[in-house]
This record gives sequence, structure tokens and C-alpha cells, in this order.
Amino acid sequence: MHLLSGLIVLMLVFALLRAMMPDRPLAPWALLVAGALTLLVIYRQDLAGMEFWAGAVGFVAILSALLVVMHPSPMSSVLFLILNLFCVALFYLMLQAQLLAVLQIIVYAGAIMVLFVFVVMLLNLKAEQALTAGRGVQRWAALVLGVMFAFMMYWAIRHRTGSPYYEPQTFQDGFGTARDVGLLLFREHTFAFEAAGVLLVAAMVGAVILAKRQLR
Amino acid sequence: MRVEFFLVIAALLFTIGAVGVLVRRNVIVMLMCIELMLNAVNLTFIAFAHEGQTLVGHIFALFVITVAAAEAAVGLAIVIALFRRRRTTDADDASLMRW
Repeated sequence: MHLLSGLIVLMLVFALLRAMMPDRPLAPWALLVAGALTLLVIYRQDLAGMEFWAGAVGFVAILSALLVVMHPSPMSSVLFLILNLFCVALFYLMLQAQLLAVLQIIVYAGAIMVLFVFVVMLLNLKAEQALTAGRGVQRWAALVLGVMFAFMMYWAIRHRTGSPYYEPQTFQDGFGTARDVGLLLFREHTFAFEAAGVLLVAAMVGAVILAKRQLR
Repeated sequence: MRVEFFLVIAALLFTIGAVGVLVRRNVIVMLMCIELMLNAVNLTFIAFAHEGQTLVGHIFALFVITVAAAEAAVGLAIVIALFRRRRTTDADDASLMRW
């Protein structure tokens, strides 16, 4: 868990540096690389196999999420969000959720993000000139509340009764496969499934009407 | 490595998304931040499903993905309608219904 704390502090400093000094874009990156290498050297004994890869994927996930928010160009934001979705799909695989990992890549990164890419390209959005212009109060309030919220969640998670990471062998056969999830979905959650279908049809009709007609 | 690792990562992703919605003014980026938050919630569901060794969390995550798809479709349609009318994707310029 100490590695994770180090990672969080590193990301926080990176985000702050990037927000404070927009005119010197290389400094935060240099600090990020140096900090990551330092963490790697300090915790090299604890990082065996799975833990190393989980830490690396977590690093990329948080970094790409930060860049989604902080990058001035919407197109880069979309691409970083796709990277983030792939990282989360890898986490799903580590948690024995194979079907969800595949669905994450096909539906989220494949379909929904392509929609975002299309719209950004269709509207031909340029990078925002001044990310920091205006709304100072809301910006700083959001940052302070966000940091407080993050520490609250962290505190809550640290103080719950812990549970180990179960090895894949301890799960029953077929946990997280399409077969088992499908059986559960169609046996016990049929109504929710049908309701989701109605929701999707409603969303589709709404999207077509909104995009077709001129708003007045 | 413990399940808490994934929970902390998910909490961080959720916080970044929430701050992003409040800080950014571009509607498309705000929609992307909402996707980030939904995704973090999904990760939490999967982590708890792993902890309890039950598949119900997977079902929840499946429906969250469905809702995210619907939300993205409607949200982007609204953005396109707004852009046609006002030539902007800035949330501050769409203030007709604010007060």
C-alpha cells in the first residue's frame, strides 16, 4: 500500500505542476519519470510478478485519467480516455472478469469512444486557448473538494476490514466467463435486461430526434 | 497485492472525473469525465465481486456500460444540436435554462 501512496503523491505533484506552470510543459514530465524510477528502486523487493504489473497499469491509468482532464485538445482527451479504458480492462482481467474485460474493450473503447472521436472530428474542435481563464472560484473550490474527497475515500478504504486478493485457483470453474454471467443474467435479472433494451431504444430515438431537428 | 489496491485506484479515477466535470467548460470533455466516473464505479463493482466471489457485481457493471452507451448517445446529440445553434461547445454559453 505504501507504493500506492507514493504513486498518489507523485500524480498530485504532477497535476499541480502542470496546472501551475503551463509555459514549461517539460518540467512535470521530468519529475514524473524521476519519481516513478525512484519508486521502482525503493520498492524493487516488493514488486514481484503480478504486483509490478498492477502497479504499472495503475500508474498509466491514473496518468491517462489526469491527462483526459488536463489536456487542452479534446481529440487528445479522447485518445487518453481510450488508453484509460484499456488499463481498466486489464484490471478486470486481474480480477477474473474476463467477459467484462472483453466487453469493456469492444463496447466502451470500440463503440462509445468511436462516437466521441466522430463528434470531435465532425465539430472540428480546436484546443482551448486558455484552460485557466475565468471561473477562478469554482476551479479552486473543485480542486480543494476533490482532494478532500479523494483522501476521505482513501481513509475509508484503508480502515475497512481488509480482504486478500484471491488467487485464480480459488474461484469456481467458469467464474466471470460469458457462460456463467449469461446464465445469471437471463435467469435472475431478465427484467433488468429487458428494461435496458427499452432504455437503449429510447436513447436511440432521442439521439436521432435531437440531432435531426433544429433546436429552437 | 490486495483488493484495496483496485478500490483506491477506482476512487482516484472517480475523483479525477468529478473534478474534471467541475473544472472543464467544454461539454464533450465533461461527457468524457462522466464516462471516467462510470468506469471507476465499474471497477469498484468488479473489485467487490472479486472479494465476495459472486457474479452479481459483473451484472451491475454490464448495466452500467449499457447506461453509459445511452448517455453518450443522447449527450453527444445534444452537443451537436447546441453546436449547430450556437457554434460553441462551451457549457457557459448554454445558459438559457440556468435560472
